[in-house]
Amino acid sequence: MSVKIDPITRSVVQHRLSSIVREMGEAMLRTSYSQILNSSRDFSLGICDTSGRLIAQADHIPVHVGALPWATLAVEQRFKDVAPGDVILLNDPYQGGSHLPDLTAFVPVFDGDKRLLWTIVRAHQSDIGGATHGAYNPAATEIYQEGIRIPPIKLYEAGKPREDLLDLLALNIRNPREFRGDLAAMLGAAHLGERRVAKLFSEFGTETVEAAIEAILDATEQQTRVVVSTWKDGVFHGEALLDDDGHGRTDIRISAKVTKTGSDIEVDLTGSDPQSTSFVNSSHANMQAAVAMAFAYLIDADIPKNTGALRPLKVVAKQGTIVWADPGRPVTLCTSHPSNEIVEAIIKAMSASCPDRVMGGWGRRFRIAIQGEDPRNSRNFIWHMFQARPGGGASPGGDGYSSIGEWHSVGGLKFGSIEVAEVRFPLHFRQHEFRPDSGGDGQHRGGLGVALDMVLETAKPAKGNTAGDGARHGPCGMLGGRDGAPHHYRLLSEGREPRVLKTKEVGIELRPGDCLEIRSSGGGGWGPPEQRSVEARARDAAQGLVSKAV
Amino acid sequence: MFTIGIDVGGTYTDLVATDETGRTVFAKSPSTPADQSIGVMAGLEELARRIGVTRAAMLAATDRLVHGTTVATNALLERKGARVALLTTEGHRDVVEMREGLKPDRYDLRTPPPEPLVPRERRFGVRERLKADGSASIPLDATALDAAIADVRRSDATSVAVCFLHAYLNPVHELAAVERLANELPGVSVSRSSDVLPQIKEYERVSTTIVNAYVAPTVQRYLANLERSLIEAGFAGSLFVVLSHGGMAPVEEASRLAAGTVLSGPAGGISGSRRCADLLGIPDLVPFDMGGTSTDISLISDGVASLSADGMLAGQRIALRSLDIASIAAGGGSIASVDGGRTLRVGPESAGSVPGPACYGNGGLAATVTDANVVLGYLDARAFMGGARPLDRAASEAAVDRIAAALDLSRIEAAAGIYKMINLKMADGIRLTTLRRGVDPRKFALLSFGGAAGMHAAEVARELEIRRIIVPTVASVLSAWGMLTSDLRYEVSRTHYGTGRISADEVRGLFAALEKQAAGRLRGWFKGDIAIERSAEMRYGEQVFEIDVLLGDVDLNAPDLVADIEERFHRRHEELYTYASRGQEVVFVNARVAAVGKVARRAGDAAAVSSTAPCAPRGRRQAWFGAWREVPVYGLDDLRPGQSLDGPAIIEAETTTVLVDIGDRVTVNGLGWLDITLR
Repeated sequence: MSVKIDPITRSVVQHRLSSIVREMGEAMLRTSYSQILNSSRDFSLGICDTSGRLIAQADHIPVHVGALPWATLAVEQRFKDVAPGDVILLNDPYQGGSHLPDLTAFVPVFDGDKRLLWTIVRAHQSDIGGATHGAYNPAATEIYQEGIRIPPIKLYEAGKPREDLLDLLALNIRNPREFRGDLAAMLGAAHLGERRVAKLFSEFGTETVEAAIEAILDATEQQTRVVVSTWKDGVFHGEALLDDDGHGRTDIRISAKVTKTGSDIEVDLTGSDPQSTSFVNSSHANMQAAVAMAFAYLIDADIPKNTGALRPLKVVAKQGTIVWADPGRPVTLCTSHPSNEIVEAIIKAMSASCPDRVMGGWGRRFRIAIQGEDPRNSRNFIWHMFQARPGGGASPGGDGYSSIGEWHSVGGLKFGSIEVAEVRFPLHFRQHEFRPDSGGDGQHRGGLGVALDMVLETAKPAKGNTAGDGARHGPCGMLGGRDGAPHHYRLLSEGREPRVLKTKEVGIELRPGDCLEIRSSGGGGWGPPEQRSVEARARDAAQGLVSKAV
Repeated sequence: MFTIGIDVGGTYTDLVATDETGRTVFAKSPSTPADQSIGVMAGLEELARRIGVTRAAMLAATDRLVHGTTVATNALLERKGARVALLTTEGHRDVVEMREGLKPDRYDLRTPPPEPLVPRERRFGVRERLKADGSASIPLDATALDAAIADVRRSDATSVAVCFLHAYLNPVHELAAVERLANELPGVSVSRSSDVLPQIKEYERVSTTIVNAYVAPTVQRYLANLERSLIEAGFAGSLFVVLSHGGMAPVEEASRLAAGTVLSGPAGGISGSRRCADLLGIPDLVPFDMGGTSTDISLISDGVASLSADGMLAGQRIALRSLDIASIAAGGGSIASVDGGRTLRVGPESAGSVPGPACYGNGGLAATVTDANVVLGYLDARAFMGGARPLDRAASEAAVDRIAAALDLSRIEAAAGIYKMINLKMADGIRLTTLRRGVDPRKFALLSFGGAAGMHAAEVARELEIRRIIVPTVASVLSAWGMLTSDLRYEVSRTHYGTGRISADEVRGLFAALEKQAAGRLRGWFKGDIAIERSAEMRYGEQVFEIDVLLGDVDLNAPDLVADIEERFHRRHEELYTYASRGQEVVFVNARVAAVGKVARRAGDAAAVSSTAPCAPRGRRQAWFGAWREVPVYGLDDLRPGQSLDGPAIIEAETTTVLVDIGDRVTVNGLGWLDITLR
């Protein structure tokens, strides 16, 4: 590459690229069908080059983003003959995907006949086939029970959709109408990005844009190294525990050994426990994404999250462990678990290296999906719980956010309106308020989880599935801060004893009038509780955030 | 008789008066933030002086005074509103603090959450509950209500927001609570969600109602003072306030829906832009108002300013429909910096007016956009503000040199880079605004106003492939001037409840009720003809975001009414997002009606005298157009209709500078405005 690039042109191209992914996100948000996308925003956008380097991304779901380079590599490996107008789709965790519900669409961007970049949209589908509705199958012991696997396929060839393939996919999914709508939105957003990137090429010339991209990545690397080099050198250890795998194993350990030298960081996860028979395993791409996510939380918020920022980071892991499962193992839970535990283990390790940057643990995911019939219109419904968000971790900056989410989403998942939920689903939300005493104590207190009491107003019994973790282990406290309260969910059914719900259950029988008593976890505290100010404690008491005098 | 428009800005209060002959007089007077009415009264004095009469005589001969105020805006931005308490459904008092689970800035995990306007200790649950169909599953519990009111009393709140779940369908519990509050706490201001925003989605409704409660007492006090001062000064006409949706309303209405005045100021700019579109016969304009700290961007499409309910101000969600104004943190005061990766950034930090750009000589050391403009020769340091406030060129150079050194560039390269980056940012803001509305910016003309816009308009336009720029001579008082032509407007909406497809009778019923309500209210203020605007917010079955579909010429009595409305939705969806799904279920969410009272127009602006003589520059100076060029400098006031000139050139007026790039051509139109065609 002979073109010399000045810092201004670099800034201009960088600005343009990030504005393109923002536009793609705006389009996606407003056109997708499923609640999980248009309300909860469980999607991400990126631009990668043909060698799988992430050039630009929009800030949506952090755990998606670090995985996109691996997805791109899988596409490049599969297809040597990409033509303008092609659209490639994949979800298989063993060929570039993270877990099956995350469907990823790729649109190539050409300059003349030279292929240069991909615009990419990854979006979580509300169903992906398999043994259970809503993709999460705690009973699965093989990936075949988790849904339809899509290796990299050409969904469009030179601008022509492969309707036969589309029919095949839609046929394997429980809500084909929604699936088609969401897919249309994904392709619309990716094509929008393609048009805008192509214009960038024609305006500046390919060579200039390519040179600018190199300069952007180099500059971001430099910026990151400046930050990392201020942290203390050494070898640091941290670990976090998964409650269980739902198949009899408990306290599954994720172990991080972090070696920090100068401006380089090596994260070694080889000490983590062996893989599981259930869906708590991580795919390789997802493990990489989780490590990248932890690192992104420690560096400055305004450093662009592209491949350049990750160059100081080296990841070591062993196949066959919980963080990197052998092909064929189930993995659906991995974007939340063990992602959250991987992040937590790394942050814990780093508390000795950069204590002014680490934060208390953020909540873990404990989801419920309900399938039943709405007596008002006799239609089937599938409802995913996004309400009752857990609390965020406290930080050197102050107390944690309440009702905000997990490590892997950090305030990027919106829970929809309760009024709208009551109109659309036969559910009654009796209570949805902060859960007192759930935030981990500390100099800065963890954010609060939520107390949700929800009554099922169906005429016939419905079925529930759970998927998640964190009912035994709460988000960790940091530097002397206390852990947040773990999740605690119960099923209250008239004439029966209240039953504590486990985090990995299939086919829970729900009777009309049953109440789900959800108590989501708080965030971890930061710093010793003795150092919490008298004013802060008085305020917590006045606001009813803590019930007991401390 | 006079009509007077008054726009209170951060620094200046602008006033414009016009009479039957079309004579238009401007005045500017310093704003008085502590009590804006003082500046307004002083400005009226100045305006009368320029007209050549006493203030009392002028006011006695004024039938309409239209006011854009920033009282609510400032109360929110500076957190100086009322002490608010919230009465809400028991078990749901944290809706406003949960913010739907969202947090800005995904990767910033070290900034603590913002303080809500109403802290938890002043949010009180009341035992009551409506179901999704509006029926009561728990009747309002009188004892619980009294206990909550006692809590409100103890909290020393001066204003109360009342918001119960599903009250948009059935306000009966809210009405009962408000009545009880009025009896128990007579001095306390009350805002009711079913009055402020009777729409589904509790976060938006409670947040908007709280904002209303927060600003209402301040707005009410201010408007009452102003009205009293005006009457004492001899005013006998009607005082109207511009609302965020661009229409105007009498004081009582602005006091009721105080949250609807938060964009009162910039709304005047859009009225002005719409009037420009009218006068010029250009239906598609991008109003581009660049000031010191921020740039306001909006859209006039087919002569109509678009409205949106996505509003957010000072971190508070305000879901009232307002003009779709995107305010981006980019202006003359935006600060340039170099980050750890040696990347040049411009903004969002601003030097504001204190200390201001380095060249102001008030102790500011940071290089700002204005400093770059001085270095590039665009701004004449000596002639700034008509020479009243000369700029320190050496200070600008020193500030830009620091950026240059960090980037290993020359001074001029650094200045040109700052100039380029700020333009890009503003173009970006326009692009996102247009995308949201599903329009292509290329067919628009850029309307350049506000002090700094003229120096950046050409590059911003080029970035967006816009080919035409208009610079009106009223650019510096466009908002006040626009207010003269604001219409009266009253908006109402209602959410449709139903789990199946809406029927034609339901559509007719909804609109008939809303039209009766809207027209009835407007009739109380206005005797002239009332026009009705209808629209509906709709979405596909599984979507969550509704889109607004105008139903202006829909025949409500047509037998295929619902199919017609749905087809309009499909078409609009296609326009906005490139596809429609005609096989899918369409959900009708909210019906909206605006009753509009068109005010009589005064005569148009008097045309300037035209000339065919070539333009004569006032002088020449060095400026950067990719290389140093000596370019002619024209006085805006010297240019006459019919004249034209080619870039590179600089056109100067007292409060603005317009840059004409190489190859661009300026024509002076019949109004004396600049009409620039880009090469």
